[in-house]
Amino acid sequence: MSGGFDKLLDSVVRIDVQEFNFEDGARRIDSSIGSGVILSQDGLILTNAHVAGPKAVEINVTLSNLERVSAKLVGWDHWTDLSLLRLDLSDAKKRGLTFKHAEFGDSEKLYVGETVYAVGTPHGLTRTVTRGIISNNNRYFEDTEGVDGYETGNFNTWLQTDAAINPGNSGGPLVTEDGRIIGITSRAYLGANNLGFAIPSVIAKRVVASLVQDGSITRSYIGIVPKALQDLEGFYDVASNNGVLIDSVETGSPASVAGLQAGDVILAVDGKKVDGRFPEQLPPIQNMIASQPVGSSLVLDYKRGTREMTSTLVTAKLESRIGEEWVSDTWGIAVRKVSLAFARENQLQDDTGVLVIGVQRGFPADVAGLARGDIITKINQNPVGTIDVMKAIDSQYTAKPAPTLFEVQRERRVSLVVLKP
Amino acid sequence: MNIRALLLSALLVAGAARAADLPTLWAERVKSTVAVEYVTQTELERRPTVSYGTVVDSNGTIILPSAAIDLRVSPAQLKDFKVYLPGDPEGTPAEYIGRDAYTGWHFLRANASVRDRMVPITTFAKATSSNEPRLSDEVWGIGLRNKDEDFTPYILQSHIALIQSLPQRTAIAQQEVAGPGLPVFNHDGEFMGLGASSFGQTFLEFSGADRDGSPIMLVNLEESSAFLVADEVVPYVGRIPKNAFGRPLAWLGAYGLEPMDREVASFLKLQSQSGAVVSEVLEGSPAEKAGLKAHDIILGVDGKPLPRFKPDRVVIDYVERLIAAQAPGDTMVLSILRGSDRIEVTAKLDDEPRLVREADRMYFEKIGFTAREFVYGDAIARHTKAGQSGGVVAHLVKPNSPADIAGLRPDDWIKEIDGSEVGDFASAVSKLGEIEKDMLRTETVFLVSRGSDTAVLRIKLH
Repeated sequence: MSGGFDKLLDSVVRIDVQEFNFEDGARRIDSSIGSGVILSQDGLILTNAHVAGPKAVEINVTLSNLERVSAKLVGWDHWTDLSLLRLDLSDAKKRGLTFKHAEFGDSEKLYVGETVYAVGTPHGLTRTVTRGIISNNNRYFEDTEGVDGYETGNFNTWLQTDAAINPGNSGGPLVTEDGRIIGITSRAYLGANNLGFAIPSVIAKRVVASLVQDGSITRSYIGIVPKALQDLEGFYDVASNNGVLIDSVETGSPASVAGLQAGDVILAVDGKKVDGRFPEQLPPIQNMIASQPVGSSLVLDYKRGTREMTSTLVTAKLESRIGEEWVSDTWGIAVRKVSLAFARENQLQDDTGVLVIGVQRGFPADVAGLARGDIITKINQNPVGTIDVMKAIDSQYTAKPAPTLFEVQRERRVSLVVLKP
Repeated sequence: MNIRALLLSALLVAGAARAADLPTLWAERVKSTVAVEYVTQTELERRPTVSYGTVVDSNGTIILPSAAIDLRVSPAQLKDFKVYLPGDPEGTPAEYIGRDAYTGWHFLRANASVRDRMVPITTFAKATSSNEPRLSDEVWGIGLRNKDEDFTPYILQSHIALIQSLPQRTAIAQQEVAGPGLPVFNHDGEFMGLGASSFGQTFLEFSGADRDGSPIMLVNLEESSAFLVADEVVPYVGRIPKNAFGRPLAWLGAYGLEPMDREVASFLKLQSQSGAVVSEVLEGSPAEKAGLKAHDIILGVDGKPLPRFKPDRVVIDYVERLIAAQAPGDTMVLSILRGSDRIEVTAKLDDEPRLVREADRMYFEKIGFTAREFVYGDAIARHTKAGQSGGVVAHLVKPNSPADIAGLRPDDWIKEIDGSEVGDFASAVSKLGEIEKDMLRTETVFLVSRGSDTAVLRIKLH
């Protein structure tokens, strides 16, 4: 193998993560193993968002020389399933540890059939190299809840490879023979043979740059669900290879405010023609819109029936459906703030309230009959607008336990329950 | 021979004769029972169902329990009602009259040819007004075997273990005492009540893999240990519906009533009180016009506080029955708690808007789905204004049909067909009819709404 490949091997790490799990209504700690790759001598490590995210309490990195160093989360982006960590450099320096880092290659130049290698920690087997080819360099699939319920995949297509990918490979690099990173291995079909997927380096490079700078990525949101026009050009009477069909417009979104409707065909964005004939073409279009600064004006040319129309809309900030999470140890309940996206999806009147995501057996919330999926809208007749409202009542309760009245919405039914010490 | 001995033997004979009467009493009372078979006919299948009924008058009127017929099914799809007298393999046609909202019973009328072989249950009703059974009273009832045994009648016997208000007075016997919908009698053959749906009983199931046993709940569909006492039956057997839907239907429009439990009542300092939380107040309903608001707690109706039941949930049935007992145009005074204020609102009940089971439907064979009229309940379910909504609902999608392949799902709300808005049901039917007639047509495009999303579906016609 090449010198570049040897260097790559020395930059791949195993990542052991301890993270909170609120499913049982308590702060439980789960541990998991993933892979990552060192990107720079100042200790940046790229991995998957589903390996290490904001719920991580402890991250330990095993270097190629088998030494362990702790790391901290720099930022994550579940939309592309990528996370950036930083090694504890002072500790590494103190212990005289050294490491190498890898370089990105260009995923755009890959051809189908090209030999690639996956390096990682499948099932905890550190520094495993598997070999395969690029099976498809522009794979599209919908995965709306890929990262622990967080949305993913709307803004990129994937590299598909037949290099063996197993649990634990996640976050490891997919490289060419010269050891350059052309993808971050992220998922595989379980029960299938050699159907593995990686995030292309062209996406990863951009995400890394943003995460280094801001610790997060801000995207624009307009609120449409696009659909490939595929064979519907005739029906909508548009030229082939021009237009994106709007399958759905989210209520209250910028697109809805601007008057767009399901069934409209977007022909151009800011005067630039868009082509969404095939599903593979949709993520780049969505990415193009998402990459605009929040609050920018977009001019959309679209077709409704036989009429050609133009609307200007102002983009909003893209938010996840998953809101802030918190656990009350006294009540034995884990909650998640109802986000605007969640409220919209579930046709709630607004984003007031918190969603119950876990209930601990035998604790006051369980005894009172609260269950996963309930939405707590009021406590002691105060609307629960934020998690902080709940935290404040919880600390009062902890200081001086007294019966507390919860108003709960289950499906569309409102009920009252009392939590007692 | 002396007189004393004679007397003794006379008593013995009388006692023996009385015990021997039970088969006689049973044989007479079996004539008040029938098995009923009907077919639910949908676009794709015919599904037969058997249930039990009790004869309530000399015109051949029969009542079936509420659960005997699925309420989601349109009465137009209920076909081929047949009445079987116990032990007789020959069925006789019967006509479905409709469902009474207050009792929940379905009413049926048997053909004249069998009426003289049936005896109304009222014949056996006790003359005195109250004849609620008492704890430990002996009761017996009738069960019917399956169709392959000609619905042969048999006797069930037990003692009263408990009487509860659910909210109707319901006696619970120690064992199964009658088929659901079939009568129960006392020792003297007096009518004591009507078999209710049976309660689930929890059993432990053991297996090789699970030696600790896991609890499972079993419900006996053929026999029940619970029955509605006669006072909950006899006064209401004359409530024969005027039409299949039981219209008019008294309607308040307070949606999603939820019980206020004991803990909440005491938190709100309403110790001895029960209540019902209103989840939503429906658009344009009497409740809305009266000024009822979502999250109000109903504490009383017409000046009477809501009684407390066990379990708490029963209060909801109680309130719903209070409404069902009224007629459109009647008023109801609701005492409510709103925040910390106690107020009264007066609602003038209305006739309930058209129900899903009353909606018009039409099956389109080529596309492979049934279009159903969009009714008030559809608007409520979809969080939209009832008055302004056009479109039709996909009621049934035929498996592997063009509609199914294109991704149409039952309950999808079809808002546009071929790019233009669907108006009312009639215009949708004519448009879909034209599409089906056009032999040259290769596709049709629907815009459907599903939950919070919409989707454009391209249906390829063969």
